Amino acid sequence: MALRASRWRWSRAGWQRLALVLLWAGHGIWVLMGPASGQRWSRASEAITRPSQGLAARWAERRHSQRDAALELAELRADRLRLVAELEQARLQAMREAPRHAEADEAVRLLGLKKHIPLELGAARVIFSTRPAVFGGLILDQGLDRGLVQDQGVLVPEGIVGRLWSVSATQSKILPADAPNASVGVMLMRSRATGVLQGLGSGRALIRYVSNQEVVQVGEAVLTSGLDRVFPRGLLVGYVAEVAPGDLELRVILNLSAPLDRVSAVLLLPPQPPVEVQPPFLAPDVKPSKKRGTP
Amino acid sequence: MRLPVPSSLRQHLFCGITLGLIALTAPFPALQIILHALLVLALAPRPGAPLSGALWAVAAGWVLEGTLRLYPHLGGTAWANLTVVLLAGWMAGRWPLEGLRGWLARLAGLGLLHGLLVHGAVRLAAGPHPWGWGWLWPVLTLPLWGWLSWRLLHAPAGTGRR
Repeated sequence: MALRASRWRWSRAGWQRLALVLLWAGHGIWVLMGPASGQRWSRASEAITRPSQGLAARWAERRHSQRDAALELAELRADRLRLVAELEQARLQAMREAPRHAEADEAVRLLGLKKHIPLELGAARVIFSTRPAVFGGLILDQGLDRGLVQDQGVLVPEGIVGRLWSVSATQSKILPADAPNASVGVMLMRSRATGVLQGLGSGRALIRYVSNQEVVQVGEAVLTSGLDRVFPRGLLVGYVAEVAPGDLELRVILNLSAPLDRVSAVLLLPPQPPVEVQPPFLAPDVKPSKKRGTP
Repeated sequence: MRLPVPSSLRQHLFCGITLGLIALTAPFPALQIILHALLVLALAPRPGAPLSGALWAVAAGWVLEGTLRLYPHLGGTAWANLTVVLLAGWMAGRWPLEGLRGWLARLAGLGLLHGLLVHGAVRLAAGPHPWGWGWLWPVLTLPLWGWLSWRLLHAPAGTGRR
């Protein structure tokens, strides 16, 4: 049996009815939506698009924060580069100024020492050191032109350095206190036993002629005795490092307190100073106290 | 005796003219509402061709509300017009016209229904609003525009009577 496929087709009246129904229903829906339809549509669209709006807001906020962070990072990098350059400049400046600062510090320290010694002290600069050599010493930038003479005592704030061994027209040579032929009259601080310093090199020296009967302790301070007429009494020489009994005298070894290898400026004592000098009275620096109610 | 249905061209011509007059008479609401009732109740309904009448009625509603510029949400009048014109077209097919008196009576009934439907639909679409006295003008002038429409569409040619 042959079946013919039936063709379903709407008539013109059917299409008209459908158009009428759609027209009527569309108008009805439109009317029933009422005057607040715009607000409803807005609310509905807002509710639908709320997640995407939230995401967009977060994305925009993230972009802004990233942009701010990038700007801040760029500023920080620029600041860092500027600070590095300034630091490098400051380092170079400090390196240039370092010798002058050291010299100024040394001058200040020397000035402080000068206030405590009531003698006419002169200052000189060490321009060269021959200490590593045998019978080496320190070369000063002053000589006969500044009135220097042999056997003037030389000292720094840490202690004595030595004495002038030779004086030329414009330079002088210091015989350091640790030289074997440096004969400095010294005394021990506690026992007041006196002796003569004999250098051992490398900042060490031996005190000769101290009796075995004396009681000497390690760490005891050693001062100048003033008997050599080069240094007045009471200047610091060093501290006792070793004490050993000998056949006739104590073997007392001390470490010189003055850094002989690092001296750059020194004070010069006048020739043949008095054996003993009294330190001047220095009033302490007291800040003026303000009374209450005074401006 | 059944009256012949007017020609489609003539009916569409009158509908178009009336729609234009509705738009032009916007400064005169009383006149505009009378023309609106004339178009929806008398000129647009056509038995056997509801779509064209429905489109004319919808257009009349939108033109009226659009020119009034009073409602926050338009479309209520057009929906009421659509409903009434479909009902009028069905009635014209179901109960064919037999005279001027029946025509006027049908127009009066449809006019009242139209007034109620317009008010209700506009209330649904645009919110509550006062009745006003606009509905009274079509009712009062019903004999005039009813007779005019009768003459234009249904009266036999050459006679002024039924």
